[in-house]
Amino acid sequence: MRKLNTLNLVVASVTAAALMTFAPIPGAGQDKQKGGRGGGKGKGGPPGAEQYGPYYAAPAKAGEPVGRTPDGQPDMQGFWTPRFNQAIFEVQNHPTAQPGIGPGKGAIVDPADGRIPYKPEAAAKAKEMLAKQIYLEPEAHCYVSGVPHAAYQQFGYQIVQPAGYVLFLTEYAHTYRAIPTDGRPHISPNIKLFRGDSVGKWEGGTLVIDTTNQNGKTWFDMAGNFTTPAIHVVERITPVDTNNINYEAVVDDSTIYTQPWKIAGQLGRHPDQNMELMEFACVEGNQDLVHYTEGVGGKAKEKGALRQ
Amino acid sequence: MRYPTALLVSLIAAVPLAAQSYKAPRTADGKPDLQGIWQVMNTAAVNLEDHIAVLGMPAGRSVIVDPPDGKIPYTPAAAQKQKENFKNRAKADPLNICYIPGVPRVMYLPFPIQIVETPKYVLMASEFAHTLRMVYMNGTKHPDVALFWIGDSRGHWEGETLVVDVANNLPDTWFDRSGNFHSDALHIVERITRTEPDILTYEATLEDPQVFTRPWTIRMLLYRHKEPNFKLLEYECNAYLEDAEKENK
Repeated sequence: MRKLNTLNLVVASVTAAALMTFAPIPGAGQDKQKGGRGGGKGKGGPPGAEQYGPYYAAPAKAGEPVGRTPDGQPDMQGFWTPRFNQAIFEVQNHPTAQPGIGPGKGAIVDPADGRIPYKPEAAAKAKEMLAKQIYLEPEAHCYVSGVPHAAYQQFGYQIVQPAGYVLFLTEYAHTYRAIPTDGRPHISPNIKLFRGDSVGKWEGGTLVIDTTNQNGKTWFDMAGNFTTPAIHVVERITPVDTNNINYEAVVDDSTIYTQPWKIAGQLGRHPDQNMELMEFACVEGNQDLVHYTEGVGGKAKEKGALRQ
Repeated sequence: MRYPTALLVSLIAAVPLAAQSYKAPRTADGKPDLQGIWQVMNTAAVNLEDHIAVLGMPAGRSVIVDPPDGKIPYTPAAAQKQKENFKNRAKADPLNICYIPGVPRVMYLPFPIQIVETPKYVLMASEFAHTLRMVYMNGTKHPDVALFWIGDSRGHWEGETLVVDVANNLPDTWFDRSGNFHSDALHIVERITRTEPDILTYEATLEDPQVFTRPWTIRMLLYRHKEPNFKLLEYECNAYLEDAEKENK
């Protein structure tokens, strides 16, 4: 419990360093300072908050029919709160507490047990990372999230749809995904990127995003569930009405999984559509690695993971 | 703290653009269409002023169009500080430790910038560290809550020109690799005009009474990337810095 509390502070301090805590933040709710990125249950939210951990947002009410942008895309523009249970801590079901992570539900709907279908050696690697190498967690180093992690990113995001593109602007780390929908091919497989290479197309009312070229340096969560450069992700994003979007993603990587697996979640429209994403200056105020070292017994300093 | 707006306007008027004959195509809501992926072809990122080459960095002419001598009008104390910055630049340049570059520096780094427009926003996304500039076009004022590495940008259209007022700038950013700097009193007015189909003329007037004796103006061109399927890749500066530090151990 002591460890958990320390980790809670970790992220609150990163956020505070980024001058963000007093600003309105999509999806974070009022309990953000208490919970932070590594927070526990969503105490302090309205009834039912605990279902979503600290990233509480009431299930959005049914809205109006989905409109169209000037170039004919289904219009998803605005601020959205991801609801993926506690996937942000661990993407798979995690019924028992781990260092820094309380028990909770993930977002995996296939296989039915909600667990990543690792090959044995990959399962062992993930377990080892969680137990002994938590200081390697990519976000503690302010690396941008990969795909699909970016879709259930903390603090929510804004969708903007200029002609020919869909952009996801995330408050966390103040980054973007710019997805062309003009039918272009992927870039060469020789280039690997943290964010990978995403190309999109509309299939009726569903935006289908195909992502390859990831560099294998990102995790799905804070729990050691790692990726490799062989990962291939197909996201299907379907606006249901003006307040609700269904999201699912199939993840395939035959080098570490026995079968493809699927996550699913919802995006709820944030009630305040006049909000503005604030700057989250991650690199500039990062204390995560220090806290990992002191808080959960990591050996970051010896491993050279710490600057200075 | 700030110069009267009238003074700033008169200074801008004193350095007019070449007669604007080209009229940009319009977006769906009738605004000039500046969308695309753009990049400078100059050495402003090395030094805004005239500079000779040094190892690995080409020479370049000043992008400062006002004052006419092409030099930043520092106060004497600030000129001294700039000299120290230059001497210590390897360690002191915030970009060398991967901090957010700030405005206007992000606009002339050797990295492409994608501009997109919607009725409410103009977005400028740099390939450098996924740096994002959101320009609010809805008539709102700068917030009074905080200073930002990338500042706070509020814009409006004046005919063919996107005019962006940038305030709330943190004092920790530099203008270039040569230690040219500012304080938290920095106020910028940018004027961005599509002067040819594939050229944006970028102009910025910078005022900061704590550091400069008068406002001054830079002007440069951004060129459209026309390679087929060109897109932003990524430059995750802090990740590469960690790698380099490990290699050097």
